[in-house]
Amino acid sequence: MNIRFKLNGKETELQVKQDESLLEALRQAGAYSVKHGCETGECGACSVLLDGKLVPTCILLAPQADGHEIETVEGLSEVNTIHPIQKAFTENGAIQCGYCTPAMILATKALLNKEKYPTLEDAREALSSTICRCTGYVKPVEAILRAAAMLRGEEVAPIGGGGIPLELAFGLTGESDLGRDIPDVKSGGGGGTSVSVRPTVKVAPWVSPEAHTDVVGRPEIKVDAVKLVKGKPAFTDDINLPGMLYAAMLTSPHAHARIRNIDVSKARAFPGVHAVLTYKDVPRVMYASGGQSWPNPKPWDQVSLDSKVRYVGDRVAVLAAETPEIAREALKLIEVDYEVLPAVLDPREAGKPGAPVIHDEPDAIGIPDAQRNLVNTIDAAVGDVEKTLAECDYVFERTYYTPKQQQVHIEPHVCITYWDEDERLVVRTSTQVPFHVRRMLSPLIGLPVKRIRVIKPRIGGGFGGKQEMLIEDLAAHLTLATNRPVRFEYTREQEFTSARSRHPMYITFKAGVMKDGVLRALDMKVISDTGAFGQHSMTVASVSGLRGLSTYRCEALRFHAEIYYTNKTPAGAFRGYGAPQGMFGLESIVDEIAHELGFDPLEFRRKNAVRVGDPIPISTALGEGGAIEQVVLSCGLEECFDKAAAAIQWERRYDPKWHVDPERPHIRRGLGVATCMHGTAIPGLDMGGASVKMNDDGSFNVLVGATDLGTGSDTVIAQIVAETLGCALEDVIIYSSDTDMTPFDVGAYASSTTFISGGSAKKAAEEVRRQIMERAALMLKTTTEGMYLRNRHVYTADGRAVSLQDVALHSLHTEDQRQIMATASHMSNYAPPPFGAQFVEVEVDMETGMVRVPRMVMAVDCGTAINPVTASGQIEGGQLQALGMAISESVMYDQQGKVLTTRIGEYRIFEADEAPDIMAILVPTYEPSGPYGAKAVAEIPMDGVGPAVANAVFDATGVRVRELPILPEKVWKGLKELK
Amino acid sequence: MLPEFDLVMPENLQQALENLGQRNPGVVPVAGGTNLTVDMRSRRHTPATLVNIEHIQELTGILQEDDRIEIGSCVTIAEILKSPIIAAVAPALIEAARGFANPLIRNRATIGGNLADASPAADTAPSLLVHNAQVELWSKKNRRILPLDEFFVGVRKTVLQPDEIIKSVHVPKTNRPSASSFYKLGLRKADAISVASVAVYLEKKNGACGQVRIAMGSVAPKPLRAYAAEELLTGKHLSLKLIEEAAKLAAEASSPISDIRGSAEYRRRMVFVLTRRLLTHLAEMMELKDW
Ligand SMILES: Cc1cc2nc3c(=O)[nH]c(=O)nc-3n(C[C@H](O)[C@H](O)[C@H](O)COP(=O)(O)OP(=O)(O)OC[C@H]3O[C@@H](n4cnc5c(N)ncnc54)[C@H](O)[C@@H]3O)c2cc1C
Ligand code: FES
Ligand code: FES
Repeated sequence: MNIRFKLNGKETELQVKQDESLLEALRQAGAYSVKHGCETGECGACSVLLDGKLVPTCILLAPQADGHEIETVEGLSEVNTIHPIQKAFTENGAIQCGYCTPAMILATKALLNKEKYPTLEDAREALSSTICRCTGYVKPVEAILRAAAMLRGEEVAPIGGGGIPLELAFGLTGESDLGRDIPDVKSGGGGGTSVSVRPTVKVAPWVSPEAHTDVVGRPEIKVDAVKLVKGKPAFTDDINLPGMLYAAMLTSPHAHARIRNIDVSKARAFPGVHAVLTYKDVPRVMYASGGQSWPNPKPWDQVSLDSKVRYVGDRVAVLAAETPEIAREALKLIEVDYEVLPAVLDPREAGKPGAPVIHDEPDAIGIPDAQRNLVNTIDAAVGDVEKTLAECDYVFERTYYTPKQQQVHIEPHVCITYWDEDERLVVRTSTQVPFHVRRMLSPLIGLPVKRIRVIKPRIGGGFGGKQEMLIEDLAAHLTLATNRPVRFEYTREQEFTSARSRHPMYITFKAGVMKDGVLRALDMKVISDTGAFGQHSMTVASVSGLRGLSTYRCEALRFHAEIYYTNKTPAGAFRGYGAPQGMFGLESIVDEIAHELGFDPLEFRRKNAVRVGDPIPISTALGEGGAIEQVVLSCGLEECFDKAAAAIQWERRYDPKWHVDPERPHIRRGLGVATCMHGTAIPGLDMGGASVKMNDDGSFNVLVGATDLGTGSDTVIAQIVAETLGCALEDVIIYSSDTDMTPFDVGAYASSTTFISGGSAKKAAEEVRRQIMERAALMLKTTTEGMYLRNRHVYTADGRAVSLQDVALHSLHTEDQRQIMATASHMSNYAPPPFGAQFVEVEVDMETGMVRVPRMVMAVDCGTAINPVTASGQIEGGQLQALGMAISESVMYDQQGKVLTTRIGEYRIFEADEAPDIMAILVPTYEPSGPYGAKAVAEIPMDGVGPAVANAVFDATGVRVRELPILPEKVWKGLKELK
Repeated sequence: MLPEFDLVMPENLQQALENLGQRNPGVVPVAGGTNLTVDMRSRRHTPATLVNIEHIQELTGILQEDDRIEIGSCVTIAEILKSPIIAAVAPALIEAARGFANPLIRNRATIGGNLADASPAADTAPSLLVHNAQVELWSKKNRRILPLDEFFVGVRKTVLQPDEIIKSVHVPKTNRPSASSFYKLGLRKADAISVASVAVYLEKKNGACGQVRIAMGSVAPKPLRAYAAEELLTGKHLSLKLIEEAAKLAAEASSPISDIRGSAEYRRRMVFVLTRRLLTHLAEMMELKDW
């Protein structure tokens, strides 16, 4: 049928099917800014304004729009113009991956259309319609208030780059006044409230040997921000190739079964179906799906399609058809005869005699003890643990549990594969590891690496979930089978049943401590549940040990891990990568010890924590890139404790009156703390490459393999290059993650990008700088001695200058012509630890057990924050993700191994109006091994919230919860037991 | 991807009823679609024909009558939240609307759809139950008015006939001093399916408790009233002890299941906690507290 409606003011007529959703219809019509992340009304990414009201298009029928007016962000601005709301979002750093951004902007518009003076609560309420997994909502909420002020015609303080004096922007002058508040610009009047319309990031002075920086350390606007606020078709799925087919996957309904017989003849015969593939149709090549360096850590226990299924959601068959509807219908025609096998779901049972053997295939490679479902064991020790424990005044032993948290990036896994005109396979995919995907895909599909090109467009969040070759092989098999472009996307349900998650772990700590509160020994044991396959399991567990045993000075350390298969969805990489598990155990037991021995939990931590100059002895025994001894070269932990404790008003912990609320007698308040310490990149293993090339006008193309998954790494790398070459950020055109065009990079994981990829970009830029100076010396008939680059010019020691543009023109066209360019790569044997102090305030309902977190504060020493806005954005968003794991998120199973949490709503991700006040404080240090002094920042915010919440709940109630998430019922039970 | 179906867009109520009156169980009305389209996507529900009723004039709007208000079945939760008429008559319903999903869903979700869907967790149900609401049901041939309590049958089951629609929801007015309140305990603020929810309506009569009604959601196959607890309180002075006893009776009347949101034991206890909390709160508000 035909429907007519106004789309962004233009009369539009569309031919739609009656059963088409408005979402599908709008995207067909080219409105690619309308995204989707669930299609069940829960994520809000598909929102548009219908007659001015925000509505979810995934659950509207296209004909329901007939005769109405629809607005999308495409209608807000033209080329070269920008709407004030869009401007506020870019300036405020409210965009990370940008996948939720169009919906947020429309939610803002709906609010500001009716409310000129929105309050903080109004802004949060408006944003509660859109789930954002990246930002923690802090900067988007502020962007709304900023946009409101702009629309009222008020002056707002500048934030972004573009020629604003540094002092004005952020107070980064390097003078005293430690960590002062950035002056708030109060908006309001006329009935509004006074709220900050600036990022609430606090920055202490930046102490660096580089006397002055122009671009590094500044809150520059993200280089991809404008296209994202405008909803440009920048994501994997935002293209429509001629002849493209749609893939769909049949998954196992059983937790463990053998496929006795599978009959696809009816599905193949179904009109519109072009290929149906099962294990009979693809080569059997063993691999591990984790996106890691060559050779991928063992075990190699997967094949593209198998005759056995090992979890509910496991691959059974995959097909490609003309439309998504046909694909889905055809799936139903596949007949499978399963021999159902007994399943094991608990890793503590999986190794016992009589447990079903999950990997009984003879051709799996590198499973140490498949009969016992044992994927691996890890043992590491420093010093004599038994002896030291025996000498200690007290020994504590406790066991903790961390849940199966899912990444829930709002953009699902999606990829499009096609043959290009040279008959090379192009894989356009939402991945964190394009280069690993290319290499790992090659043997599975029987094409050499040189015939594969992997392109990563903008991606809608990853958080580790896309450090995996999860679906690319199936799409590629289908393109090979049909010679047609194939699009394959997971449904949200498949994200929960068939993607990856954090490894659930049982963590037992035994700690030896002296009367005076000196920790002497830590003995850590871990049982890890990797699900049906073993990818990442070894390295994740080793990071649990590394992080669990690095933070405090100890004479003796020991780590033992056992990793088991279970008949559950495989686990994988998830931001933090084992550290949140280890740190939950460590920071809980440290708190328990402090309490029992009568120490202040903060003082106890300060007393035992590592400091500058300390070795990290466990690093000599554990490490993915080989055991390489690490030493702490920079550490701002003390200052992190000071600043964050002051911000949360830690002294309230000692005021009994503060713990109760006379107005709400059932409420108890509490404060909790946790130390955080992470790593930066995998030492001796991670490597990134960068090329820098100079153009006629003195601008630079930068090509990097690094993968920006929304974190802002393209921006940070561009800032490093701009700083090194004395130009403005806008003179740097960055292009990343395309295996044909850019140098290699391991990809976005292990918090490595700024440090490793930024390091390579800096090296390449330095070489280009050298070439520029040589050219300038030639032009000015002098030597390069004392030359420096600034303000788009090369200056000589005697004060003469030549512009970069003149240098470029001279070099390209005038004399001894040559292209100024360089390529460099960077790796590091040293992995400098960033530090952090996490504080959390809780309110516990003593009758229901409900834990509410009104406020979280984290201070982080990430060395130099190359961009304080993107860095603080990581800290804010990371804390909220970590809070999910602390109090609500967990993938749940029934006794048959069926996933019960298959929807975002059931899985429970925080919305904007229930998120706490989240504060990020940057405590800069200068890390000598990092580019411009930088260390990592992306993962450390996952480390401390879980234990800090548990510790705060204990402070509030006396109940110690040792299993995350802290659901109300657990607290309630604990309270009952106390009584 | 939705399964195939036909869509009918009737212009008025008569046409809609004609369509539904074909007595074909595959023909169902769709209002906001926040339940139906989601169910269809997951293939839990595959109707052959949808009759779009969301814009039918007779089903929209909130009417003031002398003794009651009539809320059209296609009134959205967002409209309820903004309505001063409802705020005056049924404050508990406003509280339910405030905790209902988020603005995006509230813009689409309708009161009729919420009741017809008959989830044990339907958020408008407890509040409407304690306000003695009635539903007006129309079919091509028949019209009837039923107390809401008789409308629900079981998990997602009602007395609604295939050819019938909810035309409106009646909420009686009272000029006796009264108050009502609703509390939803979810694992998140706007949880679609809560751990437990309770609504209480209380009238004041001669300094004591007059009529009182208590209803609960998510703790039984259908939203239900706690009659025994109500009886205990009617005509009494509200002491803390009495309130506790009533709360206990309410908890006993519930029959929750254990699921991913909580164990049956916990949920039953929460009925007690929420009932006690609401009764105490309302007693204080109405100056009825006898402690
Ligand atoms: C993300 C999300 C969050 C949600 N949160 C909540 C929540 O917090 N609380 C809550 O209670 N619910 C919640 N829901 C469920 C749903 O939104 C509500 O039940 C809503 O009120 C349904 O109304 P609707 O108009 O969308 O119904 P529809 O989906 O259009 O219809 C639902 C059912 O009712 C029938 N129907 C609709 N109107 C009539 C009528 N007038 N007469 C007869 N039958 C009719 C339909 O045939 C269908 O079977 C949520 C849903 C989503 C997707
Ligand atoms: S709400 Fe529509 S796609 Fe998630
Ligand atoms: S920026 Fe919101 S989901 Fe990524």
